[in-house]
Amino acid sequence: MVRSRSILLMLALAAPSLAWAETMSFGDAAAILAKSCGKDIDANCRGVNFDSSRLKDCLSRNQDVVSAQCKADYARSFDAIQKRIAARAAVPKTCERDIVKLCGGDRKEIAKAVECLLAASGVSAKCNQAIGDAGYR
Amino acid sequence: MRLGKRGLRDIGLVAAALTIFVAPTFPAHAQEAVTRDDIIKRLSGLEATPDLNVAALRQRALERVKSKADAVPLKRPPIAAELLELPRFMVEVQFDPDASTIRPESYQTLGRIADALCHSTLLRYGFLIVGRTDATGKREYNLTLSQKRADSIRDALVNTFKISSKRLQAVGLGEEQLQDAARPATAINQQVQVVTVAKPL
Repeated sequence: MVRSRSILLMLALAAPSLAWAETMSFGDAAAILAKSCGKDIDANCRGVNFDSSRLKDCLSRNQDVVSAQCKADYARSFDAIQKRIAARAAVPKTCERDIVKLCGGDRKEIAKAVECLLAASGVSAKCNQAIGDAGYR
Repeated sequence: MRLGKRGLRDIGLVAAALTIFVAPTFPAHAQEAVTRDDIIKRLSGLEATPDLNVAALRQRALERVKSKADAVPLKRPPIAAELLELPRFMVEVQFDPDASTIRPESYQTLGRIADALCHSTLLRYGFLIVGRTDATGKREYNLTLSQKRADSIRDALVNTFKISSKRLQAVGLGEEQLQDAARPATAINQQVQVVTVAKPL
């Protein structure tokens, strides 16, 4: 009895964490950049478009004059965007076995595979996490 | 559509149609960005890939401007009525005046568009970004500016968020696709539209 209850508790604790993305959405990451660095971009990077590598170059070139807030946040924002992109790229490999087992699948056709995995039951925790981190859900 | 906790919270907050605004002036404050799930909802549901040639559409707009046809904005029909049949949304994107630099106030909006395009629901679709202007200033200038601004949005989605360039096309229709022809100078005409144009890729 005690054991089954503790198993239930463990499941209850574990279940939501499987679905929690460990990455930040692009929208949230971009919002941090705008909020912390909007004025600095206007003042120092006029005419630089919303291109992560060019903006990052411009802000780091102007390290000495950008606000403390921007300096503290800009790398974090770009890293978050990069992490999300990397998470997307990691799905075919992380979910390879699930795709083969549950979706009879070709992992090159990732869009179809993701649709199948989202509808399937018995997807591994690892793959489930990868799907969430990629922002597919 | 499967929605995360965020998604459920965001549902219903935004009802605006999805078109990207190309506003020429500085905003006094950052606008409330459209939500990811609203974008997904609006761009879903394309049944068949339409027969749409973007290069021809660009040419059609240019020819109408050059020939000075439909000179009165009040009576100007949309140059691409076929786009109005497709799933689409309108959203405000702020640019520097007379330039194609996206303003920081709109970074979040761009991020949310990227989030929507990466969601499983839209993963297999292709999209057209349509830049537009209001009917003030010169028609040809407006056409060129709106193309540059649509290209900027596309570039940001491709370069910053790594959305496959195969899924995104951009066209500027200037003041040839007025949202509200009855009020040629109104800001809504500056909205950029994102239109679902291909399925599946």
